[in-house]
Amino acid sequence: MVVKNKKLQNQFDAEASNSTRSDSSVKLIFHGVSIFVDGFTVPSSQELRQYMLNHGGRFENYFSRHRVTHIICSNLPDSKIKNLRSFSSGLPVVKPTWILDSVAANKLLSWVPYQLDQLANNQPTLSAFFTTKCKPADEGAFTNAICEVKHENEVLCLKDASKDASFSEAGNSFERRKQATEENDELMYENTDKTVTDGPSKSYSEEPEEVKVVEQSNLQEEDESMENYRLQSCPEQSTSSVSSHCFDNHGIRGSPTSTVIGPSKHRHSTLGDPNFVENYFKNSRLHFIGTWRNRYRNRFPSLSNGFTKSHSNVSAGTQKTPIIHIDMDCFFVSVVIRSHPELNGKPVAVCHSDNPKGTAEISSANYPARDYGIKAGMFVRDAKSLCPQLVILPYNFEAYEEVADQFYNILHKHCNRVQAVSCDEAFLDVTDLEGKDPQLLASAIRKEISEATGCTASAGIAENMLMARLATRTAKPNGQCYIHPERVDEYLDQLPIKVLPGIGHVLAEKLKIKNVRTCGELCLISKDSLQKDFGIKTGEMLWNYSRGMDNRLVGMIQESKSVGAEVNWGVRFRDLQHHFLLDLCKEVSLRLQGCGVQGRTFTLKIKKRRKDAGEAAKFMGCGDCENLSHSTTVPLATDDIEVLQRISKQLFGSFHIDVKDIRGVGLQVSRLESAGNSRQAPERNSLKSWLMSASTSSKQRFDINRIAKECVDSEGKSVGGNSGVLRIASGENSVHETNNAPNGEGRSNQSSSVPPLCHLDMGVVENLPSELLSELNEIYDGKLVGLITKRKVQGDKSTGSACFFPPERAQVEEAERSRNSASVSLRRTALEMKDTQYILEELQMVPDSEARPDSVAISTAGLENNDLVPSSLSQVDTSVLQQLPEELRADICEALPAHRMPEGTALGPRTDNMHPPLGIKTTTDNQPGSTDSGLRNNLWIGDPPLWVDKFKVSKLSTLNFFVDMYYKANSAKSLSSILQCIIAESLHPLNARCDAWNEAIHSFSELLMNYIKLKMVVDIEEIYVCFRLLRRLSTKSQFFLEVYNLVFPHLQASVDENYGGTLHIPPIK
Amino acid sequence: MNVVVKRARHPQLREYIHSAVSGLLPSIQKGLVERVAVTFFNTDNIPMERFIFKLMVNQSFGSKVEESDLEFSLRSFLIKLSVSQSLTTVLPRDCRWEIMAYFRSLPQVSTSKDAEMWIPTDTKQWQQPPLITPIKSMNSEPLGFQLYLEHPSPAEQVSG
Repeated sequence: MVVKNKKLQNQFDAEASNSTRSDSSVKLIFHGVSIFVDGFTVPSSQELRQYMLNHGGRFENYFSRHRVTHIICSNLPDSKIKNLRSFSSGLPVVKPTWILDSVAANKLLSWVPYQLDQLANNQPTLSAFFTTKCKPADEGAFTNAICEVKHENEVLCLKDASKDASFSEAGNSFERRKQATEENDELMYENTDKTVTDGPSKSYSEEPEEVKVVEQSNLQEEDESMENYRLQSCPEQSTSSVSSHCFDNHGIRGSPTSTVIGPSKHRHSTLGDPNFVENYFKNSRLHFIGTWRNRYRNRFPSLSNGFTKSHSNVSAGTQKTPIIHIDMDCFFVSVVIRSHPELNGKPVAVCHSDNPKGTAEISSANYPARDYGIKAGMFVRDAKSLCPQLVILPYNFEAYEEVADQFYNILHKHCNRVQAVSCDEAFLDVTDLEGKDPQLLASAIRKEISEATGCTASAGIAENMLMARLATRTAKPNGQCYIHPERVDEYLDQLPIKVLPGIGHVLAEKLKIKNVRTCGELCLISKDSLQKDFGIKTGEMLWNYSRGMDNRLVGMIQESKSVGAEVNWGVRFRDLQHHFLLDLCKEVSLRLQGCGVQGRTFTLKIKKRRKDAGEAAKFMGCGDCENLSHSTTVPLATDDIEVLQRISKQLFGSFHIDVKDIRGVGLQVSRLESAGNSRQAPERNSLKSWLMSASTSSKQRFDINRIAKECVDSEGKSVGGNSGVLRIASGENSVHETNNAPNGEGRSNQSSSVPPLCHLDMGVVENLPSELLSELNEIYDGKLVGLITKRKVQGDKSTGSACFFPPERAQVEEAERSRNSASVSLRRTALEMKDTQYILEELQMVPDSEARPDSVAISTAGLENNDLVPSSLSQVDTSVLQQLPEELRADICEALPAHRMPEGTALGPRTDNMHPPLGIKTTTDNQPGSTDSGLRNNLWIGDPPLWVDKFKVSKLSTLNFFVDMYYKANSAKSLSSILQCIIAESLHPLNARCDAWNEAIHSFSELLMNYIKLKMVVDIEEIYVCFRLLRRLSTKSQFFLEVYNLVFPHLQASVDENYGGTLHIPPIK
Repeated sequence: MNVVVKRARHPQLREYIHSAVSGLLPSIQKGLVERVAVTFFNTDNIPMERFIFKLMVNQSFGSKVEESDLEFSLRSFLIKLSVSQSLTTVLPRDCRWEIMAYFRSLPQVSTSKDAEMWIPTDTKQWQQPPLITPIKSMNSEPLGFQLYLEHPSPAEQVSG
């Protein structure tokens, strides 16, 4: 052993000297640290070893208390925790993230915050005290907030004298606020009002009771008009800078981060305003531009889809295509000016604040103002000194949205190949419109835009996107310019390089050193030397652009690679402000959902004030900062706000910096996956998600039937995109393949609150001959007529309608329903209360005039499926099946068992109030086994499984007991965990022989046989575990013994059939 | 995979295992292989113990593989395998073993070169259905995977 250790050490040393020599720049941060990795860790012990190798540490393969300094592990078994001393010999037991974070920070961090959680809770050590210290601080955050509110209301109460630091700062803020009020009296009024109204709006997050008390007293003072006033004044309050990572590939307005200076009111920092994050984004122009893209995509989905399809066909010939670039003239100003005709021709700028002393930055100025030398990004103060009569207007985001929509409507009307660049800027590829002169087209479009929106637009026409864009520059304002292919060189020759897209300050400076100022000069440099100096990509870009070449194709909408949000203005913390992080996560989560994506890698960026940097030059700006970032990758893509919060808290904790030094925080999510594709989307435990998944699966089946019969064209069906979730979850071949076609047309519709349960072609049903209709109606226990009536009642709604009614009672109440709609709605409200009993259905009218008997049968089959939400063949009334055409029956038989376990994967554990599987035929309920047993493998379908409900309603206490156990096992999916629970339960009510003893045994055996059938092919291990547990139970309970004896032969037969052997259950020792 | 596994030390043995497994890969990808068995024989060429890997590959799954899930499942598989020694029986000395693949249909030698490495086996089979001891099952789309042990049934031992 000693020799082996020595050998290992020598090996390690050799490797270490190799790796450090090869990269001498690496700091030996782990010098003197020697780790021992215990058990499974992420990253693996080998990776950790590599880290230690590279950073001067040691790695021990065998534990020795003399050589090892730290034990690394992610999890410890109970026994080791109890005997921690003997296990660790008093050495620190640390999580592997300590190493990663230390490497990331390039210095040895204190291991204390990384101590294993299990220990931190168990052992009240000194170090545990350090780790938990942040918690009281966290709680204190809200008491501080209360203080703040009170300060703002001029009730300076010294709430907690012990909080010296926070008090002095609060006092400070009070003083500053006073300065502000002296500066501007009106603002002071608004100031106090604002805080009053702030309170109630805060209540979206969990606040301690005390805050509410404060609010209550404030509420009395406020009135509606004040509320309105606050809303109006919003743009002034906390506008700030946003880095919109959603669409960073766009390069909107050059740099994604622009800083805006706000009015000097202290509560605009994260200190004072509890809704800081929300307001921050609500009033940000860049945020508007960023999120506008989602809106556009939602509005023109089909257009952009169809367009990309057609695109591939013609992409070869795009070199010569005329391209039009359209850009609205000073969009942000001209839209606002529309409502102020008196300002026409006068210098106007848009800015979030019109404070004469303001240091706010102008975000956009119109052409008269630009003549005075006013530019975007200029301080209002400076602008006013250049042009005293300058009118400053606030943003009007609704108007921007409206105009942008009009703008794109016009563009899409004229041309089907539109690439949106921003809300006011787009490229058109007019190749398809060969007959038309692009110049005439451009002027027509411009005219229409100006008529529709009251704003002018400029257009550039050229043979590629680069030249079109440059042409627009020449055309502005309110003009158009055509650059003929032969005149490109002439145009570019004197063009300053900074005008070219992609050349910013840094690149321009570099080129300036080389004496390159114009494109003509740039042309003289060879491609090779450009690539050598600026890198391959940039070099090539420069070379191409300087010659007016641009190979990009219109319409290449790049999928965003990351989604995020960043706040770097007004960020001042005093404590660990977790609610700030929380709000940021909320924003990011909303953006993710808006884009319909989920991400796996999370990066938290922090701007930290440099040590020597003083207070930033601009008020509340970030100043001179170090940029720090930590990231983590989770195995499962998510957009869930709680997960985001957890991750960001964790990441935040890993920074270990003084919160007072934080000047900006950003959270970015990358490695995006489409939300629809993520198989295990973390569905919340809600009724809705259950319904959604159930409905999608049934919808799918419905579609399979339809497609198989080829009687309905799939386009009319337009399967909702959410079918994607389940389609993958079910993982069923046939479903997968047959659904490909409709899915292509499907659009993700995650936001719909109630997903359609089926797309019934009611038009067909209604057109049936009356005798056929009544026959069908009979088959469906009268439900069909009910549906039709419903549809007639709500027929005027084109989108479809949602209706609830219980299948069990349908027959009884059918007559009543058809009589009048009033009673229906009345009854419906009553029924909605007991929603667990009812089926939710949304009918969607599908245009299909063909009333062929085939399609009728199919649509009715679909109806049947929907009524029986838990998808299983056995629930389909066999009598119905028999009446269906032969082929169709085969189709259904094929499709249904495929869904034996569909919902499970996508759903989390359920609680009692969930929607139980419905539509159990009363016959199957009361006479188990009476129907064709070959079809009865359905008891494990649904969530909770069908048997849970069946047993729950049963009068037999034995069966009820199983349901209790089911919930006790946290609604486990597997029988083995339920059985384990039963074993753990010392009191068995199962021994008391009751009247229905045999019935209980029968029911439970039935359940077991179902389970065997379900699991035999895929999971023999589970069955093995179950039967060993059963065997143990059978020694204690007569009930289980009988069940065991009853089912065991069945089990062995099944094993023999599938595996050609008998299951070996070892005897109990 | 971040888990410790044992492997053979003899280079030739390693070569055999490696070539057998990689030779199987194309067939597995095509979904032809139903089971792979590692069978231990005693000196009389009678199988004593068989480890059966039953495969269910979902061919149509395409590229939407949740890699981390799969990795998780496979890792649990490997861990379980390494601790399942207690389930096995003590084998006599001088046993041999071989890797056998059960195909759903016999691969056409002409169609694939890989198949040439495989020869049809005429191993003695048990007369009685064996005793099955499941070791681990996993089902992570697109791969379903089960490992179980087969031992000769007591009746077999008496007769054999």
